[in-house]
Amino acid sequence: MTESQKHPINPGFALVAAAAGWLVPGLGHALLHKWGKAIVYFCGVAILALIGLRMRGNVFSSNAADAFDMLGFLADIGGGIFYFLAGTINPLGADVSRASGDYGTRLFATAGVLNLLCVLEVLQIGFGSKGEGRTAD
Amino acid sequence: MLNHFQTMVIFALAVSLAFAFLSKSKMDERLRYAVWAFLAFLVVAIGIGWLMYPFSR
Repeated sequence: MTESQKHPINPGFALVAAAAGWLVPGLGHALLHKWGKAIVYFCGVAILALIGLRMRGNVFSSNAADAFDMLGFLADIGGGIFYFLAGTINPLGADVSRASGDYGTRLFATAGVLNLLCVLEVLQIGFGSKGEGRTAD
Repeated sequence: MLNHFQTMVIFALAVSLAFAFLSKSKMDERLRYAVWAFLAFLVVAIGIGWLMYPFSR
């Protein structure tokens, strides 16, 4: 009997884990008992997002002016809680007149896209297509 | 405040670690992949920086 057969995952639970993983990076993996991955993903996304915001990177809003702004919004919203707390973490707002602000924009977008990749992996694990069961990692 | 190189190093470290955990299942494979990706990020970024250097003047 394989590990995934020992711990069959309910598709509904996999979707809940994916939503949790989007909102709080790593939480989806934690719900699937992938503790190591949960810690690494949370730290990776959090470090990129926090540094991006502290460098006064731009955070795109949903009322995009063009397609590039919309892509930026889709990348940024992937960061979950960091997107919603961006104004609290960086109350000064964006400053892309300097190079570091521009780099901060990229770092924050990278954090969002990285978290979206993690959410996809939660779905893969949850639906059993990754060949990993609900075991500690 | 971090300078640009320090920012790039942190970026490379975070992304290479996440990629290693996403793509590899065994810990020794993850470690090898993370180190390889981290060094590749740095080498490519510094290489592209030098390639662009003549155009900055």
